[in-house]
Amino acid sequence: MAANFWTSSHFKQLFDQEEVDVVHPLDKEKGITLEDFKLIKMHMLIPICKLAQSVKVRQRVVATAVTYMRRLYTRRSMSEYDPRLVGPTCLYLASKAEESTVQARLLVYYIKKIYSDDKHRYEIKDILEMEMKILEALNYYLVVFHPYRSLPQFLQDAGMNDIGMTQLTWGLVNDTYKMDLILIHPPHLIALACIYTASVYREKDKTAWFEELRVDMNVVKNIAMEILDFYESHRLITDERVAAAFNKLKP
Amino acid sequence: MDNEREGFPITAIREIKILKKLHHENVIKLKEIVTSQGNAMNTLSYLCCILYSPQTVLLICLLQISYVVRLFSGPEKDDQGKPDDNKYKGGIYMVFEYMDHDLTGLADRPGIRFTVPQIKCYMRQLLTGLHYCHINQVLHRDIKGSNLLIDNEGNLKLADFGLARSFSNEHQSNLTNRVITLWYRPPELLLGSTKYGPAVDMWSVGCIFAELLHGKPIFPGKDEPEQLNKIFELCGAPDEVNWPGVSKIPWYNNFKPTRPMKRRLREVFRHFDRHALELLEKMLALDPAQRISAKDALDAEYFWTDPPPCDPKSLPKYESSHEFQTKKKRQQQRQHEENAKRQKLQHPQPHSRLLPVQQSGARPQMRTGPNQSMHGSQPPVTGPGHYGRPRGPPVGPGRYPSGGTSGGYNHPSHGGQGGGGYGSGPYPPQGRAPPYPSTGMPGGAPRGGGGSGYGVGAPNYPQGGPYGGSGAGRGSNMMGGNRNQQYGWQQ
Repeated sequence: MAANFWTSSHFKQLFDQEEVDVVHPLDKEKGITLEDFKLIKMHMLIPICKLAQSVKVRQRVVATAVTYMRRLYTRRSMSEYDPRLVGPTCLYLASKAEESTVQARLLVYYIKKIYSDDKHRYEIKDILEMEMKILEALNYYLVVFHPYRSLPQFLQDAGMNDIGMTQLTWGLVNDTYKMDLILIHPPHLIALACIYTASVYREKDKTAWFEELRVDMNVVKNIAMEILDFYESHRLITDERVAAAFNKLKP
Repeated sequence: MDNEREGFPITAIREIKILKKLHHENVIKLKEIVTSQGNAMNTLSYLCCILYSPQTVLLICLLQISYVVRLFSGPEKDDQGKPDDNKYKGGIYMVFEYMDHDLTGLADRPGIRFTVPQIKCYMRQLLTGLHYCHINQVLHRDIKGSNLLIDNEGNLKLADFGLARSFSNEHQSNLTNRVITLWYRPPELLLGSTKYGPAVDMWSVGCIFAELLHGKPIFPGKDEPEQLNKIFELCGAPDEVNWPGVSKIPWYNNFKPTRPMKRRLREVFRHFDRHALELLEKMLALDPAQRISAKDALDAEYFWTDPPPCDPKSLPKYESSHEFQTKKKRQQQRQHEENAKRQKLQHPQPHSRLLPVQQSGARPQMRTGPNQSMHGSQPPVTGPGHYGRPRGPPVGPGRYPSGGTSGGYNHPSHGGQGGGGYGSGPYPPQGRAPPYPSTGMPGGAPRGGGGSGYGVGAPNYPQGGPYGGSGAGRGSNMMGGNRNQQYGWQQ
């Protein structure tokens, strides 16, 4: 929403990879490894997306919610901030921050509908209480910029704004939220990395266009590599592996 | 929507987002946000209780370092009504940089008379700050004197972004028209428009500009119909010629004047400086599309002709109005006068749940119609603005004499000639922020319980109190509720 990313709190709060990849001591005690940590964060997207579909909010709200969640876990432990509650609460908060308010009771209703087990018995007051804790942990910085905004402009400029390419890059951007990229890189570079990945995948040579941009192509290529690495490793993840990670969090 | 169940209010989120995004010398700086679980805030709350009236006071100036504004009071009880051990029940506070005065408060002080370079200096800062907001896609939506804070270096800053929100130029969404304090509300909002832009703020700026030159508010309407009438009397009645498209605005037909009305602005304010009048004329354009923008206003001749705007630092340093004792004394006196007045006027008694005068300043919130996305973190002490300052009582000593000729900057040649309630006309019994609520909505009760202070939370505001969509109005908006019933308008 802010007019300028470079003066925004988002820009000032960009992290280094090393800062993001820190497992909270409390979680470490429970045997959570860095890999578990990443897995859990990635899997938190599933309930967030399911809920978002149920309550019908824009992708941008999901993206903001995930960013809040990822920012939260750079500062707080999963032991204290239960991922099962944090996910929906981040969506709740993001829906307000992105001006598409969703009622808490609606979220509670859908959580119960989607998950019937005991672990998901959350009431409205749990969400509201967690909202306060998250707000405080985020230090009330709520403005988030996303790659979605610059994506269509770049595609048009590169002459790649056909439906196929738009859908492919949009999907790639969606997938970047399964990683911590949004905490580390400026959103327009993430958008460019997605376009780069897509152009390589579709075998369209856009080198000339990229060279004309005044951006550090090394950064863009590094992000693209991370995206490819992610897809590579993503295939090897089994449900058991995820369940094992979540189980470690049990009190 | 059940707002009491919606946690941290969206209006508070908007305010925080906006304040965190705006960094400008003419925009108030949000230093930090604190929650009241810590000892520091308890001490602070405790101090507030002593120095000010409890719970309702949203503004504290503590050791003249910061303003503290309560943003949100957390839930006190859970669903079952059992006490909740939620540590956030104490509330969330915004801490602002300290400012010595507000524009209205400053002008209210007896014996103060602004010079022309001083007015130009304030106006230029106001426009600079507002231009910054507008280019950053923020509408302030509550520009008025009491929201323009001034420090002793002569710097003016826009404050109170409680009604502000971001807008987009591309896809105009519907916004509520129940914003901006009545006297400063532009005709398009009064006529019910829900698609509007930065021009709404510029109308308010025009009102303030005229007020500075004229010595008193120029459109002191007591309810919406009267407000429009006052505007039409000065600015002429709108029609398709001077305001293309006006007849399509929702309530145009309800308010269409029955008799022709001519624009009399130049006539009424003919004693103003030529360039000032020229600028004012453009700010008070009925048609928002023709109204001058903040950017263009800054280029107006007015700011570039003799005498030029002075350097803020050259302005006189006024004694800060924050001595707690004098403030309290003044409040008590005001309270006293108002009580007497209220009895005299025999106004309807407030709803039984409302405690009209509990302690100095603990007045009930003003109400407007339901579903209004206003946040009411106004210090009921003074009505306008949650950075509110002590100011003259609604009617009485100070700047708004009912005679219209003894005011600080009243031009002698003006006295008596403004027809139709203009200038010489008597003021309505309610001045700024009349103390009585117009509807008996639950939120209208004074925040918090009696003298219990901050830490305890507010029984009447389980959560989301001050921001609830049920909406507490501010200032002279109070008639909104009544009017709504009267005309059966829909939001």
